[in-house]
Amino acid sequence: MNRLPRISLARVRAASLAALVVFCGGCPTNPIKVRDAILEVNETFRVQYESILAQQGTRVFPVRPDKALPGVRAALFQLGMHMESQDLGLGYLSFASPAPRPLNMQEWGQVAQADLPMMREIAARHVGLVPSWFISFEPEGLEIVLNATVLPAAAGSEISLTMRMRQVTPPPSGIPRREYAPPTGVRMGLDKIWGQIERELGVKSHSP
Amino acid sequence: MTDPSYPDALPAQHRLHWYVLERVLGQGGFGITYLARDTNLDQQVAIKEYLPVDVATRRPDASVRSRTEDQGERYRWGLDRFIREARTLARFDHPNIVRVLSVFEHNNTAYMVMRFEEGENLAALLERRRTLPEDELMRIVLPILDGLELVHNAGFIHRDIKPDNIHIRADGSPVLLDFGSARHSMGHARTVTILVAPGYAPFEQYYSSGENQGPWTDLYSLGATCYRAISGISPMDAITRSKGILGSTREILVPAVTIGSGRYSAGLLKAIDRALAFSEKERPQSIAEWRRELADAAAPVPRAAPATMSVTPATAPGPLAPNPAPAPAPPIRGPVIWATLGAVVAAVVVVAVLLWQQSPRPPTIDPAFTKLQDDYKRSEEARRKLEEQRKKEADDAATRQLGDKQKHEADLRAKAEQEKKLADERARRELEAKKNADAAKAQRDAEAKKKADTGRTEAPALVVVAPPAPPAAPPKAAEPDLIKQAEEARKRGNDAESLALLRKAADQGNAKAQFALGDMFSAGRGVPQSNFQSYVWFARAARAGHADAKARQDQVKATLQPAEIQHAEKLLR
Repeated sequence: MNRLPRISLARVRAASLAALVVFCGGCPTNPIKVRDAILEVNETFRVQYESILAQQGTRVFPVRPDKALPGVRAALFQLGMHMESQDLGLGYLSFASPAPRPLNMQEWGQVAQADLPMMREIAARHVGLVPSWFISFEPEGLEIVLNATVLPAAAGSEISLTMRMRQVTPPPSGIPRREYAPPTGVRMGLDKIWGQIERELGVKSHSP
Repeated sequence: MTDPSYPDALPAQHRLHWYVLERVLGQGGFGITYLARDTNLDQQVAIKEYLPVDVATRRPDASVRSRTEDQGERYRWGLDRFIREARTLARFDHPNIVRVLSVFEHNNTAYMVMRFEEGENLAALLERRRTLPEDELMRIVLPILDGLELVHNAGFIHRDIKPDNIHIRADGSPVLLDFGSARHSMGHARTVTILVAPGYAPFEQYYSSGENQGPWTDLYSLGATCYRAISGISPMDAITRSKGILGSTREILVPAVTIGSGRYSAGLLKAIDRALAFSEKERPQSIAEWRRELADAAAPVPRAAPATMSVTPATAPGPLAPNPAPAPAPPIRGPVIWATLGAVVAAVVVVAVLLWQQSPRPPTIDPAFTKLQDDYKRSEEARRKLEEQRKKEADDAATRQLGDKQKHEADLRAKAEQEKKLADERARRELEAKKNADAAKAQRDAEAKKKADTGRTEAPALVVVAPPAPPAAPPKAAEPDLIKQAEEARKRGNDAESLALLRKAADQGNAKAQFALGDMFSAGRGVPQSNFQSYVWFARAARAGHADAKARQDQVKATLQPAEIQHAEKLLR
């Protein structure tokens, strides 16, 4: 009689722990906490995005705007993005594509490796450690939207880019949308785009 | 001489073997279509030239070359697909499918020779008549379905069905044109979306990944064409639909059952809505399925000549499924996680049951578990309520949108009447002024005659001349005229023309036109929705003195990133 409860207790403890982990991971989390977590992720990413954009968001190319505009368009087509809107008179182009384009899945993997821990850390502050492990870093349901503006500059054309995420499917229960792309993704995306535009125009660019 | 509207086109009278080009019929992103004369058979033909402007250009020797060496491979690949598809299309012999007569290579590119069909395209017909009655619409749609079924059965998807590509022959029979052969021949890294027809292309077509495209893709376009024919307006483009109102993704397309209620049979309207379902899985999956829905709906409608079709067996089958571009990997993580969780939960349950059976203590339910269960129930309930609320909001929005549209149309009608009255008044005044001027002239002539007759010099007589009529139009007549024309174009459903006219007026500094552009971009009406462009135009209108523009500018500003605002302001300088 004494032996059985000892074994049972050990099993109960182990089973309870497993059940707790499983249940906490899968159980519905308080929407307000999820909302706060996403808001903080958005805000953190926004601050980093703006800092990256200040350094890498604008380049000057030694070509006239009328050459630069088709170059930008062709470069982004090459990267698998489709044009949503353009106003050549204004010097404005807008592109979109399902995430992770312009990055490929391998590059997205690198972004996840770099930025997912930060996202989890932020989320854990709001929803707890275990649910934060289940944060999705999948690109499904997200689009990347890029705006490009081309202005005449003394040395040619000044091209500026902005990048945002667009959630195609509505988030559940009024949860805010994720708007800013992960910082590593922004950095890698900008590098890739500038490189492609340079190749397309056949010139090197420099910071303004 | 080259047509100035088509700088890349070959000049008239250019000879391609025994075909002599007469004029350009149209140009798309992947090619130019010419009207030509077959000098052997002495008949007119349509010839489509492969010229993908993004990757290739015309040389002075008339040849077509890729723009850069890097693009050469893609150009060549697209060219091969163009030729292969022309050969496959030539196998179709159906009265409602354009007949491909030949294909040949020349000028480092390829040319597809097609039968030239006299008549009028459906777009022009709808422009003229705005809407079509149900029986007439069915006389167009059902034969097209027959032809399209043949195409689908052979493994093809048209991918560019729209009123412009449906030709109505003089006898009223329709023919489906432009199989956009090269449209999906670029594949690989580039997307096909720059060539989709906004409003007529479903969401899945905006991306190069083609695995979720099929007969339902063409059915969406046919549904959209029917929507245009019953409502007089094109449905909003799928991208705008995906964004929804103010960033939400709820449905914002006014359904056909609402817009055509009372004028068309409920069954037809329902079938159109089914074809226009946003998600491809919710649409009919085959022509046969949709035809059944239409047949259920429609009163007996005379069908066109039975489809005497034949397909020559292909020696090498050439299904033209697009080559999908690298797409995000399928979401396997979720199922794996849940499968693992399921297994763990099952194991835990089994262990718990075993332990419970062995335990001498009575079983108890953990209060924390009960609380979690309650929380879950509450959460589910809240989710259900929110779903209901969202649905209700979507319905309200649709009703509002319809109401707005009707109000807008009423405004336009009232405005047109007012303008007509003004024009009549102007004409009346001009006539009066002319009469007065004529009377004054007659009086002057009489005085002069009298002077000549008497031979005496007298003090000039006082000639009473009626005051000149007010100017026929204000000095800034050109700009309001452009806006008026833009409104008329919009009323006709010609958004492109309306946009061009407004843009012209806006570039001349007309604040009203600038405001209208801001409004169009904000709502995505006739243009792809763009808060950035909306901001720019509202800002310009505000600077030009438009009273309401500043408030709208601020409203849109709230949706933009600081960097986007900064870039927009740079453009405004």
